[in-house]
Amino acid sequence: MVIQAHTVCAGRAEGEAVVYEGSFSFMGDLDPLTGTVPVPRHPLEGQSLVNKVFVFTTGKGSSAGDCAAWAAWQEGNAPAAIICLESEPVLSGAVIITGIPTVDKPEKNIFDLISTGDFIKVDADAGTIEIVKKEN
Amino acid sequence: MHLTNEERRMAEGEYGEGVRRSIELLMKLGDSFGAEKLVPVSYAHISYDFCQEKFWDLMTEGLAKTSHRVTTHPSYQPEIWKSWGLPLADRWIGEHERKLKTFKRLGWLRTETCAEYLLGIMPRKGDIVSMGGSCMQVANNSLFGALVDRMGILVSLAAAVCGRTPLMGLLLQENRYARHIVELEDLDVTDWTSSHYHCLGYYVGDQIPGFKPVAVNGLPPNLPFDFVRALVISMPTSGSVTLGHIVGNTPEAPTLDAACGGGRPEHVIKVGKREMAETWQRLNVWEDDTVEHVAFGCPHATIDEIGRISNLLEGKKIKTSLLIGASVPVEALARQQGWAGIIEKAGGHFLPVCPSIGNPFTRPDIAGEKQARSAATNSARSAHYLSTVSGVNVFFGTEEECINAAITGRWRGEAPTW
Repeated sequence: MVIQAHTVCAGRAEGEAVVYEGSFSFMGDLDPLTGTVPVPRHPLEGQSLVNKVFVFTTGKGSSAGDCAAWAAWQEGNAPAAIICLESEPVLSGAVIITGIPTVDKPEKNIFDLISTGDFIKVDADAGTIEIVKKEN
Repeated sequence: MHLTNEERRMAEGEYGEGVRRSIELLMKLGDSFGAEKLVPVSYAHISYDFCQEKFWDLMTEGLAKTSHRVTTHPSYQPEIWKSWGLPLADRWIGEHERKLKTFKRLGWLRTETCAEYLLGIMPRKGDIVSMGGSCMQVANNSLFGALVDRMGILVSLAAAVCGRTPLMGLLLQENRYARHIVELEDLDVTDWTSSHYHCLGYYVGDQIPGFKPVAVNGLPPNLPFDFVRALVISMPTSGSVTLGHIVGNTPEAPTLDAACGGGRPEHVIKVGKREMAETWQRLNVWEDDTVEHVAFGCPHATIDEIGRISNLLEGKKIKTSLLIGASVPVEALARQQGWAGIIEKAGGHFLPVCPSIGNPFTRPDIAGEKQARSAATNSARSAHYLSTVSGVNVFFGTEEECINAAITGRWRGEAPTW
């Protein structure tokens, strides 16, 4: 299945989906040295985002989000691609600076259609998301 | 995107590679939000210490002194950390000093605070300002009616280098009206302290899906400045709200109708005793009651706050380390009052650092084996970042409870009854 979306940062990447129906900040929600979510009691606590296609609602939090994204990216611990409902300027700046292919405003409900573990291809040049369902 | 002739020269590299890279980044960001053009800023605010050196060097390469004012966020103080015996302080000195050298060469102002308005450096209503620091953005938007869009710290350097920002988001009046309303239900705010307002702001930020402005209705008019500030600056910690209208308290919200621009909000969020109690509990992340550190000044302390802390610490000795994040001019005033001396005699410290994200006592990559493993704070923002960035146990409570913890080394804070 292919879903149309709006391009935030151009580029193409693919990988396994990590889906979180909540907002995300690179500062605090991602440990740049391990690429995992360090937040106590967070539904993704301990989950690695390295080379994943990370699906969430929107950005949030500290404006140091782009610094943290840069740090994770320098360590090779950034997600491969990002899909969100609606990006915001800190998140958009972070992905543009680090070149993480990112799309937002998908035309269909991604939380109904994408599950953690699905294989996803993001083509942010064309503004498309391709879902390859997980083999059961 | 439409560029002026001057901006075209910037984009063509006539003013050096730093300017070229910076304007390219601003154009890409603006394009992704459909901005039609860039606009000049009244002044720009950055963070040289949070900005990675490689990025800093790329953006400032070949840059001459700027004609516009540039100010800066809380700094690192590695020489002082070293004098306090923090084992890993040395590793921060080189980078800090190299960036500071460039900062000074450019003629930029060493305000080193997240609360510049306390120094008299503040925008007027309608001024366009580019800023790193989500607490600066939300404070200047909400408390003074300046036009400040949400922006990352690295992007804010690009904006400072160019003296430009994309015309988008909160720079446009139609995006400044409240799209969400917060209504207070069964809450009596008579005895609330700034910690209670932090807690409310943290809950509100978490509840707003996205970054559109919010109006908080139902609070008494003309609340103390520290309370309104605590409320708005906590919002972008748990969420991305960058403009909070506090009806009867902030310039664009004389009434709820004015805050909403006559439009209809997307939804109404009700806050009552249950939500406040749950949020207070959520901000407390600890197992045993040992307190090793106390952090004040997130955002940077006002002179009134320092006065109250001094009053509580007079003639006392503390068992924990204690840091007050404050700008150098506010600290100087506190010293002149005799308050800084009282706090230092009790064992406390002042620094123009961020006591939350850049706290030298709790950061394992600064304090090494001397890292405090638990910290008490009266700020929701501090509680959030001490827990997530430093990974320490966090006690959230009132100013007085935090001071008691500093004196006894034990947490005896109690959840409010609301």
